[in-house]
Amino acid sequence: MPTSQLDRAAVSRTLSQIAERPGDLADAFFERVEEVELPGGGGPGVRARREEGLAVRLVRGGRTWLASRDEISAAAFADAVRRVARALPTASYSEPRLPVAPWEGAPAAPELAAFPSAVARAVRDLRIAFPLALTVRRHRRWLQVVAGPLVPDPEREEFYSVAAELPWGRFGALLPRLDDGAAVMVAATLAERFRARQAAPPERFRGVVVLGPAAAAVLLHEAVAHTLEADVLAASGDPESAVGVRLGPETLSVLDDPGSAPEGVRRTTDDEGRAVRRRWLLQSGEVRQPLADARWALASEVLLPGAGRRGGRHDPPGPRSTHLELAPGEHDDDELLAGAEGGLWADEAERGSLDPLTGSFRLDLPLARRIRGGGAADPVGRCRLSGRVAELLASVAGIGRAARPAGAGWCAKGGQKLPVWATCPALRLEGVEVTPWR
Amino acid sequence: MAVTEAAPALAGVLAALGRAGFEEAEAYVKSGRSRRLALGPGGPLAAFAHERGWAVRASGRRASFAAAGTGFLPPRGPWPEPDGEPFRLPDPVPSEPWSAPEDLDAPLIGEAEGLRLLESLGQALAAELPGARLIEAVLEDGAADHTLASSRGVEARWRSRLAALRVEGAAPSGRGRDPVTAGLRLAEREARRFHPPALARRLADRLAIAAAGAEIEGDRAELLLAPAVAARLLAGLAPLLVGPEAAALAAELRDRRGRVASAAVTAIDDGRLPGGALAAPCDGEGVPTRAVALIEEGEYRQPLLAWHQARGPGAVASGCSRRPSWRDLPSPGPTHLYLRPRRGVAAGSLLAGLARGYYLLDAAGAGSFDPAADRFELPVCGFAVNGGRAVAPVSRAVLAGGIGALLRGVQAVARDLAFLPLDGMIGSPSLLVTGLALHPAGPDPEDG
Repeated sequence: MPTSQLDRAAVSRTLSQIAERPGDLADAFFERVEEVELPGGGGPGVRARREEGLAVRLVRGGRTWLASRDEISAAAFADAVRRVARALPTASYSEPRLPVAPWEGAPAAPELAAFPSAVARAVRDLRIAFPLALTVRRHRRWLQVVAGPLVPDPEREEFYSVAAELPWGRFGALLPRLDDGAAVMVAATLAERFRARQAAPPERFRGVVVLGPAAAAVLLHEAVAHTLEADVLAASGDPESAVGVRLGPETLSVLDDPGSAPEGVRRTTDDEGRAVRRRWLLQSGEVRQPLADARWALASEVLLPGAGRRGGRHDPPGPRSTHLELAPGEHDDDELLAGAEGGLWADEAERGSLDPLTGSFRLDLPLARRIRGGGAADPVGRCRLSGRVAELLASVAGIGRAARPAGAGWCAKGGQKLPVWATCPALRLEGVEVTPWR
Repeated sequence: MAVTEAAPALAGVLAALGRAGFEEAEAYVKSGRSRRLALGPGGPLAAFAHERGWAVRASGRRASFAAAGTGFLPPRGPWPEPDGEPFRLPDPVPSEPWSAPEDLDAPLIGEAEGLRLLESLGQALAAELPGARLIEAVLEDGAADHTLASSRGVEARWRSRLAALRVEGAAPSGRGRDPVTAGLRLAEREARRFHPPALARRLADRLAIAAAGAEIEGDRAELLLAPAVAARLLAGLAPLLVGPEAAALAAELRDRRGRVASAAVTAIDDGRLPGGALAAPCDGEGVPTRAVALIEEGEYRQPLLAWHQARGPGAVASGCSRRPSWRDLPSPGPTHLYLRPRRGVAAGSLLAGLARGYYLLDAAGAGSFDPAADRFELPVCGFAVNGGRAVAPVSRAVLAGGIGALLRGVQAVARDLAFLPLDGMIGSPSLLVTGLALHPAGPDPEDG
């Protein structure tokens, strides 16, 4: 770990100097990031970015002060401490030893080069062909948080992202690793987009929509995770009062568990150094534990920390999900599709959004398939599923028995871009409204 | 390392890259400070960031690389293995004289001052519209120093200053419906230029329209487009105005006289626009900025082109390679793209002359623009107008039509040029337009 030599005890002692009042929260965040990108088309070649820095934060009486620097050094730390300190902003603070291991060699990610070819091969195996310029990135992040006398171990994340601009839409996905399975999955998704490229959007209707695991994951991210973030709840009321509210049928249980995320992005602590937890957001349809970070938990006897995430050192942490799981149900795909003639099967969602004030929600589907004869048949084009969160979750009529990792993507709430992961089965919704999305 | 001290480091890196066989090499250093102040559900936030980053790209005869990082520019890398296609960099170009705006030297807004600005905005909003409140307000004020040097002899230093304000408010709808929300996104060179009472009035207008606005029947009346609507439309027209493919797309819109727009339309991009929030003497590759007329009195002159895109007779390049961060490679795009205002024409006089039509105040979303199909749609809100007076608020409406019809339908241009931070600063005065349709939005209130 590049931050293993930081004098964490000395950092902790300095932080205790500024957290001088009962209830104060002070922490330090050390970060190193590397991103290696192989742009699609091969022209520009590999691009590499390496950055590191730190941030110091003080929370007192509901107010937050944050100072960040693009540098990890004793002087930068002391300067950041001075900027957030309230009592003696001009005092000099000790400069703990903050040696950071040098970067290892030149940035390189040879595994990136093989992946576009593997996807192209997998597309060919599906007996279709279209021009494809796939941009592949490897993301690495090392974190060390010091938030008190008990200092957690550093965390490390590594994953990949792929993106393509296609004549019939934009495609993007996050992958824990670049292997043959990932290439086949990307190729299958691209092939579906290709086959549906000229399909007309469906007419507006209300009926059955069966969401495949990837689309279900996006729905749950918007309709459950964002809805139950403490700051989102606070926009329209008291976050604590959400606990116990029924949001869905008894069969619906959703949890956030960063500790069971795919290898490479699995976490034991969050971006505030608090232990992550297996957090039931909904259990048997009822809200159990909203997503909270240390700042929200500080002022509450109900909210629990452990879901604090930040896009980087320059951003304050906020309550966010990391890895959503939908508890599997009892239905096979055949059962989910039964009796849904004329409805839609949607395997993929492009994006979703939530209005925190009204609970209005929408899920944009780049394509779907008509359900005919108990199976997914002809494709339809871009369409939108919309409604109120409570109505949408109440419309859950069946949950598949086979959960799989699916629907990982970037979440950009508040301008902080974070990777989110999910493990989901398919989901049957009844009586939901679908409109064409142009 | 201050930027003034960065130049020797850049020279050292370029020399080392030259010795390693990279004939084309460029090094860039950016150092900045910014203050962010926010009010929201999480309570007040005061953040101060000190950022420092660098970028290096280099090309030999066979391959190239690009790298970026924080901290000091590393004199010897290590650099990634070059595997990109070879490229070349711009030659130095003599620049017109440039006087840096005086407010570049103004200090960043203070913590207390910035929070007071946001709080007063919230108070003014509540006073303007009973029941209205701020959901979130974020003010960022930043200053940066840039130094760039290349193996071709380009040497540039410039400073930048930008303040961005994002506010979102809510108000009760008053009809037992959900509360309504509306937002503003603005940018100025300095945070102290934001005027809370005026912004509160503007936000209150949007909220009041959203709360009370009626849906409309389809209509093709005369329209007065406020700058916020017209600037959104101009941003959507960027494919016709920016890049080497733009001229061919625009050619499809020519009328019998060869014009793409009415004589009232002159579109300009100017990277050194006096008073412009992004005004700078050069672009992100050190190429001098200048004003370029893209459409002049309805006639298409040329698209906005970077130095490497300008080929063929009449294609003139300008410094338009933007580099928002040290993390980004330079990429061509508008800096201050705007429709030229008409002196002496007040928006109020255009409104007064509107016998029956609509005064569209704001866009309610990004809209969709398809230049190839000559179609656009933009969700809007505003007022129905009769006899030069606003008679009823209108919300959940969609302005739609042909892109050519929009450009040719501009009947008059006012003097009230205003810019929005979209893809670059995009500006327009109020426009009086005919030939477009206004129809009700779909069932989704957030459509678009």
